[in-house]
Amino acid sequence: MKRRNLMKGAALIMTLGMTVGGAVAQEAEKKIIGVSIPSATHGFMGGLNWHAQDTIARLGKAYPNLEFVLATAGDAAKQVNDIEDMMATRNIDGLVVLPFESEPLTAPVKAVKDAGKFVTVVDRGLSEDGIEDLYVAGDNTAFGRVAGEYFKGNLAAGSKIVVLRGIPTTLDNERVEAFQKALEGSDVEILDMQHGNWNRDDAFTVMQDYLSKYPKIDAVWAADDDMAIGVLEAISAANRNDEMWVIGGAGMKEIVKRIMDGDKQLPVNVTYPPALISSAIEMTALNFVSKAPMTGRFIIGSQLITPENAEQFYYPDSPF
Amino acid sequence: MTVLALRNVSKSFGPIEVLHGVDLALEPGEVHALIGENGAGKSTIMKILGGFLDPTQGDILLDGQPHRFSSGPQAEATGIVVIHQEFNLAADLSVAANVFLGRERGGFRLDHASMRTETVALLDRLHSPIDSDALIRDLSVPDRQMVEIAKALSRKARVLIMDEPSAVLTHREVGTLYEQIDRLRGEGVAILYCSHRLDEVAHLADRITVLRDGRVVRQALRGELDENGMAAAMVGRELQDFYPEKGTPDDTIALEAVGLNVPSEVHDVSFTLRQGEVLGIAGLVGSGRTELAEGLVGLRSATGEIRLNGHLVTIRSLRDAFAVGLAYLTEDRKEAGLLLDKPLRENLTLATLERFGKLRLDIKAEESALDHATQEFDIRAPRRDMPAGKLSGGNQQKLLLAKTMLPDPRIIIIDEPTRGIDVGTKRQIYAFIRKLVDEGRSIIVISSEMTEVIGLSNRVLVMREGHIAGELSGARLTEENIVRLAMGVSSEAA
Amino acid sequence: MKRLDLHTLGPIVALIALVILGAMLNSSFLAPANITNVLARSAFIGMIAVGMTFVITAGGLDLSVGSMAAFLAGVAIIAMNAALPSLGANWGTIILGMIVAIIGGLSAGWLNGALITKARIEPFIVTLGTMGIFRSLVTWLADGGTLSLQSELRTLYRPVYYGGFGWITWPIITFAVVAIIGEWMMRHSRFGRHVEAIGSNERVARYSAIDVNRVKLMTYVLLGLLVGLAVVLYVPRLGSASGSTGVLWELEAIAAVIIGGTALKGGTGRVWGTVVGVLILSLIDNILNLADLVSPYLNGAIQGVIIVLAVVLQREKSTADER
Repeated sequence: MKRRNLMKGAALIMTLGMTVGGAVAQEAEKKIIGVSIPSATHGFMGGLNWHAQDTIARLGKAYPNLEFVLATAGDAAKQVNDIEDMMATRNIDGLVVLPFESEPLTAPVKAVKDAGKFVTVVDRGLSEDGIEDLYVAGDNTAFGRVAGEYFKGNLAAGSKIVVLRGIPTTLDNERVEAFQKALEGSDVEILDMQHGNWNRDDAFTVMQDYLSKYPKIDAVWAADDDMAIGVLEAISAANRNDEMWVIGGAGMKEIVKRIMDGDKQLPVNVTYPPALISSAIEMTALNFVSKAPMTGRFIIGSQLITPENAEQFYYPDSPF
Repeated sequence: MTVLALRNVSKSFGPIEVLHGVDLALEPGEVHALIGENGAGKSTIMKILGGFLDPTQGDILLDGQPHRFSSGPQAEATGIVVIHQEFNLAADLSVAANVFLGRERGGFRLDHASMRTETVALLDRLHSPIDSDALIRDLSVPDRQMVEIAKALSRKARVLIMDEPSAVLTHREVGTLYEQIDRLRGEGVAILYCSHRLDEVAHLADRITVLRDGRVVRQALRGELDENGMAAAMVGRELQDFYPEKGTPDDTIALEAVGLNVPSEVHDVSFTLRQGEVLGIAGLVGSGRTELAEGLVGLRSATGEIRLNGHLVTIRSLRDAFAVGLAYLTEDRKEAGLLLDKPLRENLTLATLERFGKLRLDIKAEESALDHATQEFDIRAPRRDMPAGKLSGGNQQKLLLAKTMLPDPRIIIIDEPTRGIDVGTKRQIYAFIRKLVDEGRSIIVISSEMTEVIGLSNRVLVMREGHIAGELSGARLTEENIVRLAMGVSSEAA
Repeated sequence: MKRLDLHTLGPIVALIALVILGAMLNSSFLAPANITNVLARSAFIGMIAVGMTFVITAGGLDLSVGSMAAFLAGVAIIAMNAALPSLGANWGTIILGMIVAIIGGLSAGWLNGALITKARIEPFIVTLGTMGIFRSLVTWLADGGTLSLQSELRTLYRPVYYGGFGWITWPIITFAVVAIIGEWMMRHSRFGRHVEAIGSNERVARYSAIDVNRVKLMTYVLLGLLVGLAVVLYVPRLGSASGSTGVLWELEAIAAVIIGGTALKGGTGRVWGTVVGVLILSLIDNILNLADLVSPYLNGAIQGVIIVLAVVLQREKSTADER
C-alpha cells in the first residue's frame, strides 16, 4: 500500500521509530497533533490525502493517547485559517503542515512554533529558515535532474522536446531549472514550455497545440503522471504515437503498469511519492510517544522507474 | 426679479426638434404651473431647468445671467431642486439616509442623530407619520412621495420643480402638500408645478404656461383661465363633453362574486356586474381595490365564490381567468404591465403567445396583430421596433389596453385607466371603454380620480379598509358621497 | 436598426480579428487539425454555455455546472465499469453510461431549479452550494484520486470524441446542433420569449399569465441536460474523471455568455453570441499556445482583458443608445 521501500531515509527512521515507540511506556497524557494539507485537487494530492488519512487512522489505533486533527484547504488563506483554528480551539501540541504556498504560511506557522509547539513542515519549505523542528520533503531538484539525465542519455543530438509545466510555483521552478541544468551540454533543444497545471484536461489542450505547432517532436517531459495521461491522449488523437515518447512523474499506478508492460511510449518514470506525508506524520507522532528527539531534515530522493524495477513501484490498491 | 428663466430655448434629439423657442420665467414667491398633454415637452423643460439636459439653442438665465449647468448636482448647489415623478430614492436605505443622501452630515463618522432629528422635524411639518428609520422599500407609494417632498424641503431651495407630486397622494396628503407649497411661496421660493389635474392647477397656480407640441401656446395669470379653458388650450380645441354618454346595461348578470376574501386585504366582498355595465370601484389608496381585482383574476390567493353567467368558476391563476374570459389591466403600467425594454410586438402578444403558433412563433401573425392593434387603439409610435419604454405614457397605456384585449375577454377589470396620461388620450380611452361596453362586454373601472369614476360608471362601489362601504348610482353618485363612504363618515348626504 | 446590427456584430468582428491574428502568427493555425482541435475542445463549454444563456436570460445564474460535469462524468464511469461484467464491453454498456449522464444532468438541473423556484433561495447561493456538493461528491467517489473507465470500454467509446465525418468530429456536430436548436428556441419558441420576458421584468411576466416558476425551473433543467450531453462527449476524451475535472467551467461558460452580448441581469438572450464568445475564449488559449507572444504566466491576464473589453464595448454602445 505505502511505498516505504522507496524512502530510504524515511524508512530507516520509521523502523527505528517503531522499535522505540514499542519499547517506551505510553504516556497517559493526551497529545493532539494537527495536520494541515492542501485538498485533493489533482491526482498527486489525492494520493497524499489518502495516505494522510490512512496514516492517521493507523496511528490513532496504535497510540490511544494521540489525537489527530486533519484539515484540508483549497487555498493558502483557508489553510492559514485552519491553522489558527487548530491553535485557538483544539490547543494542538504538534503541527504537521504541507504549506500551500511558502510566503503566506511562514508567519502563521512561526506563530505556532513561538507558542512552543512541535512543528513539522512537509515538502514545501517556508520562506524563513529554522522555524520547523522537522522537515520532510521530496527532492524537487533530483526529480527534475533524474528526468533531465534520462533525456540527455537517451536522445540523439539535435533531438527536439517539449515540456509541460505544473501550476506556477517555486516547486515547479525548482524542477524545471534542475531539468534544464541536467540537459546542459547535450544537443537537445527544448522547443516550448507551457503550463499544464498538473491537470489532465489542460495538458491535453496544451499538447494538442504543441502538435499543431511543431511538425517534429522527439520526446515530451510531462513532469506529472496526470499530465502524461492527457499528453498521451492528444498524441494518439494526432496519430503520432510512434514519433515520440513521454516521461511523466510521481509514479501513478496506471503509468507504472504500462512501464512494467514495456510500453514504448512510456520508457521510464521518476518517483515523487505522495506517501512522504505518512513519514512526516509518523515521525511527529514518535516525537510525542518516544523519548527520541525527532528533529532534522529528511529528504526523500527521486528514483528512476524502469521496466526492470517497475514491479516494486506498482501498488494496485492505492488511488494514485 | 426673475430667479430662473428660459429665453428662446430649443431642444433637439437627433433630427427631431421637441422644443421650439420656449420662453419661461420663474419669479420668487410664485407658483408657476406648466401644463400640456404628454409629449408636449414638459419633461424636457424640467430636465433643462434642473440641469439634466442642455438646450440645443437659447439660454438659461440664472438671476438674469446666462448660465450653463454641467450636471444635476451642480444645479442643486445653486438652489434648484427637482422632485421627480419617478422616485430617486435608494430602496434599501432608511428614510433619514435618503433625505440626506449625497450630503450626509458628520465627518468620517456620520452624525446619525442630527440627521434623524432633522428628518423627523421635516416629516412633522408634512404631518406625516413615517418613521425616519423605516426602509424606503417598506413604504407605500404615497409615503415615498412624501419622503421625496421632505427631501426637497431639506435642500433649502430657491427654485423648486415639482413633476406631478400629487398623482399618487391620498386626499389628506394632497392637503398637506398644498399647505407646504403655500408656506414655501410665502418664503419667496419660486415653484414650477407640473400636473395633469386641472382643478389643482386652478387652485394653486399664480401663473400658468400651457404647452402644446413643444411650443408655449398660452400664458395666463391666476383667474384668467378656468379648467375648461386650460383643457381647450392644451388640446387646441374645445372640450364640451369629456366623458362619453353612459350606456344602458342588460339585465343579465355577467359576474357575481360572493363572500370574496383576500387574506388581510379584502374581507367578505360580494357584488354583481351586469352585461354591458361599467362598474366603478372607488376608495382611498390602500382600501383594497387593487387587491380585490387581483384576487378575482387569480394573481392573489382568494377564497369565495365567483359565478360567470351563473356558472361557478375556479380561478387559481391568471391563465384560468383568461380561459373564462376575464382580464385585468394593471395600475402599474411600468412595473407590471409592459416590458419597457422590449419592442411593441413582443409586449402585445406576451400574454397570448399560444395563439401565435404551436411550436414556432409566427412572427408575421404577431406583426399583423400589431398592425391591427395600432389601428384600433390609435397607438402612435415613431418606429415599430422601438422599445415600449420609449413611448409616451398615453401610448403605453393604449398598448397595454390592446394587450389586455388580445385574449378577447368578456369582462375587463381596468385599474387606473388614465393614470399619468394627457387629456387627449384620456378621452380616447374613455371612448374605448364605451365601445367595449357597446360590444356587450362588462367593465370594472378602479380609479382614484373621482370625476372619472363618476363620469364613466353606471354604478360605483366604494371600498374602505377591505370592505365595501357602500354602493352609489344615479343621483346619489356624487363626489361628496364617495368621499364620505371612503373616509367612513357615517351618513350620506341626502 | 443600424446601431442594433453593430451591437450584435461586435463579438463576431472580434472573432474574425482573432482568426486573422492567429493565421498571421502561425501557418498551422488554419490547418484542419488545429481547427478540429479548437472546435472540439470548445464543445463542452459551448453546450453548457448555450444552456447558461437561457438561465442568465431568465435572470438566473448557475455556478454548479463545472462540478456537476465532474460529478456526472464520475457517476457515468462508475456505472459503466459496474455494468461491464454483466453486459460486457459493448455499446449497450456505453449507452447505459450515456443515459446515466443525461438523466443525472436532468436531475441535477431540476434540483437547482427546484431549490431556486420552490424554496425561493437566491440562484447564486443555491448553485454555490451545489457547486461544493458535486465537487466533494466526485472527489469522494474517486477517493481523492481519479476514476478511470476500463480500457476495453475506452477503446470502444473513444471514437465518440475523436471520430466523425473526416475532420468534423462528433463533438463539433453535437455542438452545432445544440447551438442551432438553442438559437431557434430563444428566437422562435414560446419558451424563449417567456425566458426573455421573465429576465426583463418578472412581475410583468407574472401579470401576463406566464407560469414564471415553471419556466425558470425549465431553464435549469435544460442546462442540466446540456451538461449531461457535454459529459457524454467528455468521458471518451480521457476516459477519466477526478476532483480536478471541469474546474472553472462555470466561469468560462458565464464569461462566454456575457462576451456574446447577453446581459448578466437578464432580459436579452443571444445564443449565437454565446457560441462566438466560446470560440473567442478557446481561440485566445490556442493562439497563446501556438505563438510565443507573452510569458505563459500572463495568459490569464490576456483572457481577463479581453473579457472586460468585450463587455465595456457593449456597455458603451448601450449608454450611447440611452442618449
